[in-house]
Amino acid sequence: MLLTLVIGALMLGGIYGLVGMGYGLIYKASGLMTLAQGDMLMIGAFLGLTFYKTLGLPFLVSLLLVMVIMFALGMFIERVLVTSLLAKGAQTVYVILCTIAISMLLQNGAMFAWGSNVMQFPSIFGVSSVNILGYEIMPERLLALGVGIVAMLALHFFMQKSKFGTSMRAAAQDELAASALGINVPLTKGAAWGIASMLAGSIGVVVGPIFGVYTAMGSLIGQKAFASAVVGGYGNMYGAIVGGIFFGFVETFVSAYVTSLYKDFISFAILIIVMIFMPTGLFKEQVME
Amino acid sequence: MSKILEVKDLHFHYGEIHALKGISLDVEEGEVVTLIGANGAGKTTTLRALSGLLGRITSGEVWFMGERIDNQKSHVIAAKGLAQCLEGRHVFGNLTVRENLEMGAYLRKDAAAVKKDFDYVFDLFPRLLEREQQRAGTLSGGEQQMLAVGRALMQSPKILMMDEPSLGLAPLVIQDIFSTIKRINADGMPILLIEQNSNAALKVANRGYVIENGEIVLKDSAASLLTNEDVKKAYLGGQ
Repeated sequence: MLLTLVIGALMLGGIYGLVGMGYGLIYKASGLMTLAQGDMLMIGAFLGLTFYKTLGLPFLVSLLLVMVIMFALGMFIERVLVTSLLAKGAQTVYVILCTIAISMLLQNGAMFAWGSNVMQFPSIFGVSSVNILGYEIMPERLLALGVGIVAMLALHFFMQKSKFGTSMRAAAQDELAASALGINVPLTKGAAWGIASMLAGSIGVVVGPIFGVYTAMGSLIGQKAFASAVVGGYGNMYGAIVGGIFFGFVETFVSAYVTSLYKDFISFAILIIVMIFMPTGLFKEQVME
Repeated sequence: MSKILEVKDLHFHYGEIHALKGISLDVEEGEVVTLIGANGAGKTTTLRALSGLLGRITSGEVWFMGERIDNQKSHVIAAKGLAQCLEGRHVFGNLTVRENLEMGAYLRKDAAAVKKDFDYVFDLFPRLLEREQQRAGTLSGGEQQMLAVGRALMQSPKILMMDEPSLGLAPLVIQDIFSTIKRINADGMPILLIEQNSNAALKVANRGYVIENGEIVLKDSAASLLTNEDVKKAYLGGQ
């Protein structure tokens, strides 16, 4: 029981954390905020379902296709919509409003394209459970956990070791200096939005088999991912992971031992308490002004 | 000698404010040219406009290595070899010294030449080699200035524009910075230098321009400017 709970908590935490990393990445790179991350996850799930179930593509190919498309979608939102707003001198709050509008468009668009029913994502593995140390665990949960860990490591090495990742960090810190060195700052910002959306979309594909795929699936996950990002220290990518795992554990263990009906009440009450006592989050983060 | 950089009648507005009212200047191969003037005269605006960091200019032309570059994007201009050390150093504090220098070479593909430039920069500033893996934010002001200069050199530029490299530094460190400027120039780098420390700037420069209220009011050899009575009175502490 305990191991099952821990794996469940880690999986949930990884989901919140990865989607939350996207919020942090966008905030750090562009000083802006999106509220559409959850719906990016939902679109990723529907696209994955279409590729895997409807078109019969191999799972890995479906996942990769979703990542490419979601990256392009995130980049499009920043490069075309957000940039044109900012070019008109719009304030940050209009950009946030724009992302809420995008979130609505995505949800309703998904309803138009795929209908309003909960769709079942077919099982990816031939077996319904695997045995780990005597516990039966759904292999899709392990997949979600695995994809989460791989994505985190990949993002970490990309940001820390690759030239483009380093330039994204540089541009986030000092746009003027980065421009003067020949770094294409608009491109680094667009890439940050693209990566954030790609993370959410790929998580959508792996949670599809666990939660089912429906148009509202992203909203609650998106809010909890946002909460994770705030608790971890908004703008700190690694903080979001810690925040996500924190929420994953609270939610899983509250459901298991206290009440599953009011787990969100308790999770979000904790969010408010953390905000009051630690206004900069668990990890203090300095963000570009 | 051929002209590396030539600016013709450059005008720039910050909104309604007419900040640059027809700046014309040029830098030839191998030269150090300085632009001196009071705070707010338009020195920084001039350099940033040349680098394309301020967006569109109002009118005028900027020619670099025989090519017109005004109103091009800043990263395109930087790629052509026009490097700038910004006022206030602007190092990436959260990146290591090494990463800062790598960002200088961001656009370059010639790995062997980049490695040679790393050696050149570390030879110029041995202190940076000692601090290679340290975060730039932990360096002293003088070291950050060295890093800013080194980072610009990593671009392998055709000209180096420096905005107030001595600002806020201790007198001994300022001496170092100016002897570095001389050495970089002796190694063949043309330099366009902006300074409030006009005396020191004119001493390393071949020629100078005096800017007042967005206009060039005087241009001459650095030696003549150093002895010019008006310049002495206004910019050299009246000695």
